[in-house]
Amino acid sequence: MLFQIAWRNIWRNTSRSLVVVSSIIIGIWAGIFILSFSWGLYKNNINESVYKQLSHIQIHNPDFKQENDPKFTIPNSDSILKQLESDNRIASVSSRVIATGMITSTTTASGVTIYGINPVSETNQIGLDQNLIEGVYFGSGKDNEILIGQKLAKKHKLKLKSKVVLTFTNVNSEIVSAAFRVGGIYRSKNISLDEVNVYVKQEHLRELLDLKPSETNEIAILIKDEEQLDSITNYSKTLVPNAKVEDWRQLAPELDLIIESFNLYTYIISGLILLALTFGIVNTMLMSVLERIRELGMLMAIGLNKRKIFFMIMLETIYLTLMGCPIGLLMGWLTVTILGRTGIDISMFSEGLASYGFSSMIYPALDQEKYMIIVTMCLITAILSAIYPAYKALQLNPSEAIRKI
Amino acid sequence: MAKTIIDAHNVTKTYNPEKVPVYAVQDVHVHIEEGEFVALVGPSGSGKSTLLNMMGGLDEPTKGSVIIDGVELTELSENKLIDFRLHNIGFVFQAFNLIPVLTAKENVGFVLQLQHMPKKEREKRVLSLLEEVDLEDKIDSKPGELSGGQQQRIAVARALASKPKIILADEPTANLDSKSAANLLNIMAKLNKEENITFLFSTHDQRVIKKARRVITLVDGKVDSDVQQTPT
Repeated sequence: MLFQIAWRNIWRNTSRSLVVVSSIIIGIWAGIFILSFSWGLYKNNINESVYKQLSHIQIHNPDFKQENDPKFTIPNSDSILKQLESDNRIASVSSRVIATGMITSTTTASGVTIYGINPVSETNQIGLDQNLIEGVYFGSGKDNEILIGQKLAKKHKLKLKSKVVLTFTNVNSEIVSAAFRVGGIYRSKNISLDEVNVYVKQEHLRELLDLKPSETNEIAILIKDEEQLDSITNYSKTLVPNAKVEDWRQLAPELDLIIESFNLYTYIISGLILLALTFGIVNTMLMSVLERIRELGMLMAIGLNKRKIFFMIMLETIYLTLMGCPIGLLMGWLTVTILGRTGIDISMFSEGLASYGFSSMIYPALDQEKYMIIVTMCLITAILSAIYPAYKALQLNPSEAIRKI
Repeated sequence: MAKTIIDAHNVTKTYNPEKVPVYAVQDVHVHIEEGEFVALVGPSGSGKSTLLNMMGGLDEPTKGSVIIDGVELTELSENKLIDFRLHNIGFVFQAFNLIPVLTAKENVGFVLQLQHMPKKEREKRVLSLLEEVDLEDKIDSKPGELSGGQQQRIAVARALASKPKIILADEPTANLDSKSAANLLNIMAKLNKEENITFLFSTHDQRVIKKARRVITLVDGKVDSDVQQTPT
């Protein structure tokens, strides 16, 4: 009977109940949207970093990581690459020769990291071919072709076919200078890296550095399933026992921090929205209790104990929440699903965001766990919000309540 | 000899006792026997409702004791007192008597449900109670669809539902027209006579006072007179 009374009580003032239900719906929807948007933004950043810069796993000579000197190489990298390529858990593998040096144009000079890459295998990894805004991806067929970022091109006032000179130290500690022609200008999602990363053909850089044919500084692995990350990392360690094998979390701990901080962010945003919701529910339920004082007094007089009165008022709030929660969840889920496919174009702000590695298209996403967190927090909020009005009802003395005007 | 059903002994109710005490009821001794039909009368502020509330266990006396059918109410815990009321006392108030979201049938059956009476038995009793108050045709009407008099009759039916020993009514006819008031009083008098239920009601309605067999008059919280009379 109490379930029935509570249910009918909430429809005594339909518009008021609808306001509470609507605020719950909007609260949950807003929570889901904000979190999915943020996660979309971060995930985009993480994917960009992992798929276009770091790869899932990198293998280096341990000293290379410390000294950043190209003489610290991984020997026999060809056979290692072959073994890795034959593993069907691995999506693609590429090797890189890396040197730090100076780029000099007719106008200025600046520091750069020179990547000697294999143009074919890198189409699946760094994907410069997709980011090229001018020129053809290593299309000249010449050895001295260089791909530079748009920002670097602007800084040096470089165009296609402009001549630049790269200066760096080879493995014999001799300074080497070599002339290159700009074969392409790219623009990646991370503008800050576009200013410092330049790409040349691996064989040519290897020669300039005086490295042996099968020596490389870096092997980068992209895997098919992230769940396999630990096992493939361990497998790589067995393949190259003396090398330093790191997964992307170790290579860029700040990305892992993003995930952790997002989890915290989930609680803070949900908490703030639900706090606002709390005031709405408390206010409405308190009003509902105060205008029923005589009725509650009568109920106590005829034998309804305080425990049941408390339960009845809690039930009323729970009903309102249970109506709002699924609708809010459904709306949130629909929004995330639709926008997750179409994406949200934030190109208006993308110039600023791109320098932090964010894309201009954001695809909102939220995993099930976060939905559950929002629902749980919403239910807890509703129950907590109902406690004060229900407690107020418990304070009533039946004889005084009945006489209340 | 009939047994004493209500024994209010030396009952005093003081509001604001520590600052400026206001004596709502002072040293009242009242003994009511089973099956009596008693009117508690007096001007406004004389303490009628306060005394009635104390006799119904809705309010606690500052001093003295209230014994209902041998049970000292002041010694019961809050929950036991609520349970005692549920099983032993029926209430009819001046207004706001019914649960607005429930139908007449559900209102009367509410108390029985609190007593965990099985559904079939409960429905049978509710129907017979509504017949007793001549409202069997309003079984599915909500309070908002009923007149004031009909609402009070439903309240009486609900008060009777748990087969209480006593029915306490606080100004039950105050909001009713003459016809509805007479109808309600006839039903109460009939139940008192046929089922030997003790009725105690506060009123200053002359129509009600004339129906009572005993009239207790309160003035300034004290019993001014306590007389037996022949109802008319």
